[in-house]
Amino acid sequence: MNLTTEFGNAAGTVRAVDGISFEMDPGETLGIVGESGSGKSMTALSILNLVPEPGRISGGQILVNNQDVVSMTSSELLEYRGGDVAMIFQDPMTSLNPVLRVGFQIEEAMRAHSRFDKRQAKERVIPLLQRVRIPSPQQRAKDYPHQFSGGMRQRAMIAMGLANEPSLLIADEPTTALDVTVQAQILELLKDLNRELGTAIILISHNVAVISSLCTRVMVMYAGRVVESGPTRQVFDHPEHPYTWSLLRSVPRVDERRHERLISIEGMPPDLSRLPSGCKFHPRCHFKVDRCSHEEPPLAEVAAEQEARCWVLMRNVSSQAQALKT
Amino acid sequence: MFPRREVTRGTLVYAFQRLVLISFTAVVVSSIVFIGVHQLPGNAFASEHRATAGTEAALLHHYHLDLPWPQQYVLWLEGLAHGDLGESLVNLGTQITPLLLREVKVSVTLGLAAVLVTIGVGMSLGVLAAIRQNTWVDYTASTAAVIGYSVPSFVWAFLLILLTVSGFYAWTGGAIYEDIGWGKIEQIPVPALALGLPYAAIVARLTRASMLEVIRQDYVRTAWAKGLSARVVILRHALRNALIPVATILGPLVTGIITGSVVIEYLFGIPGLGQEFVTSILSRDYNIVIGVFTFYAALVGLANLTVDLLYPLLDPRIRY
Repeated sequence: MNLTTEFGNAAGTVRAVDGISFEMDPGETLGIVGESGSGKSMTALSILNLVPEPGRISGGQILVNNQDVVSMTSSELLEYRGGDVAMIFQDPMTSLNPVLRVGFQIEEAMRAHSRFDKRQAKERVIPLLQRVRIPSPQQRAKDYPHQFSGGMRQRAMIAMGLANEPSLLIADEPTTALDVTVQAQILELLKDLNRELGTAIILISHNVAVISSLCTRVMVMYAGRVVESGPTRQVFDHPEHPYTWSLLRSVPRVDERRHERLISIEGMPPDLSRLPSGCKFHPRCHFKVDRCSHEEPPLAEVAAEQEARCWVLMRNVSSQAQALKT
Repeated sequence: MFPRREVTRGTLVYAFQRLVLISFTAVVVSSIVFIGVHQLPGNAFASEHRATAGTEAALLHHYHLDLPWPQQYVLWLEGLAHGDLGESLVNLGTQITPLLLREVKVSVTLGLAAVLVTIGVGMSLGVLAAIRQNTWVDYTASTAAVIGYSVPSFVWAFLLILLTVSGFYAWTGGAIYEDIGWGKIEQIPVPALALGLPYAAIVARLTRASMLEVIRQDYVRTAWAKGLSARVVILRHALRNALIPVATILGPLVTGIITGSVVIEYLFGIPGLGQEFVTSILSRDYNIVIGVFTFYAALVGLANLTVDLLYPLLDPRIRY
């Protein structure tokens, strides 16, 4: 795919997602990481062709099982959404309909698609709730969302997402609104589902730790662009883009580098309607050279399967220079 | 659209408490009216057709009007306890309770039809305006709503009578002839429209605002992401939630429809409680006046109770 999503208003057009391109294999786990406003969620919503007004997908294509989502008819879209690709959202407290029973909301997801008939849809609700480890699912199916805790609601959302056995599950910040122990449980659950059902997962998060615990591949986004991508271990152990490097330095680690200070990334994420020229990260970059401010670097291969969008690359920055900035 | 919900013990207890309160309110209201009416100068028989002194005394005695009012009040309360509202002062021998029961049936029929107009027209306009926000559909519906509630129902009544009764007759050369009055089913819609339109406009504005709010909620996005059709997303997921704030105005609205029916029934010659209310005052049939007030008090109470009992059906988070 090669995706561009724009938001137009009277003041002009803003590119929330600018020429993103990636591929996924069946059963793969991909993490998308970046600050708020970097285009993570818009990428996810674009995959479902569910970009909110006044946004629109202005270019590119999204191929899922060899079908282009952008050019689908509305009835194809209905079958595709929640069928081939399902999505779970950040805030489980508000993502379930408060006036409908949890079991019904899961059943409804199946009734809207043709994979299961009416009877099967009814029968599958309890096993699905069981699958996401909701205790006494028989009774819980009859409950309303307000009778569920936050963690249980997110489990119910996952059950709803899995209802039609999608080939891809997009989880947009699925653990951000939950407390830490529940976060770990939800991640564990997603990992199991990926292993046992072979469901591919796109996990969107600003949390590097969450991504590295689940995803084999990671994509770092900045200002609607991919700035670095590659196998998670590779990228996080040897970041080549200064933004990835700074992002990792801002996260506390238990295992190593205990003596290092945590640093924050200076400055603010850029205003998408007034992007700087050249590399979009250069105003906040510690390692910029002249070229950065007037010429935008392409996404280029820097190691096996690893790509970065940078003129400098962290491997060319001496460790003394790196240390000075920490 | 409404999944079945079990009636809880709490709901029954709540309904019972409210019924007791409503009866109490009806007694208090009618007592105030009773005392008020008995403080008025003159009596029901003082008219231009003067009765002879003997006849008047006999009549006063028949209605216990020769007793001091506290004593009459006790007698009246005793009657009320048996559901007996006494006898008409104008039509000797006419029992008020069965008369008003017959009329209340007419008024409730008209009222329910008006509520149907209110909710039907109001909600459809509101939903349409919301899902076509900032298009000509929205502007037309919103303008119609402003006109709707700026025009009082008696004006609507005149306009509708002009349109349906004389208008249809003139335009079709008498082929379509709409008759005002009561007794035939086709006579219900026009007064129901007149009564319901101003309130329908209020419901339309509220539904629009409420829908616009709900459409942006996360659970509506979830519904879209599930691949549900627009119809299901709008009706089942958005409207169900948008109705909750709209239901809050149903109470005062139903009360408004009940009081509004006084004028509408009179204009359309509908033999309901509202018409009786007007004629009984004009003919100084005080016993009926008191009876009508008692019925109205109970009716307003029951209508509000019905609305309150709808809440838990709309929103499972509400329990009594």
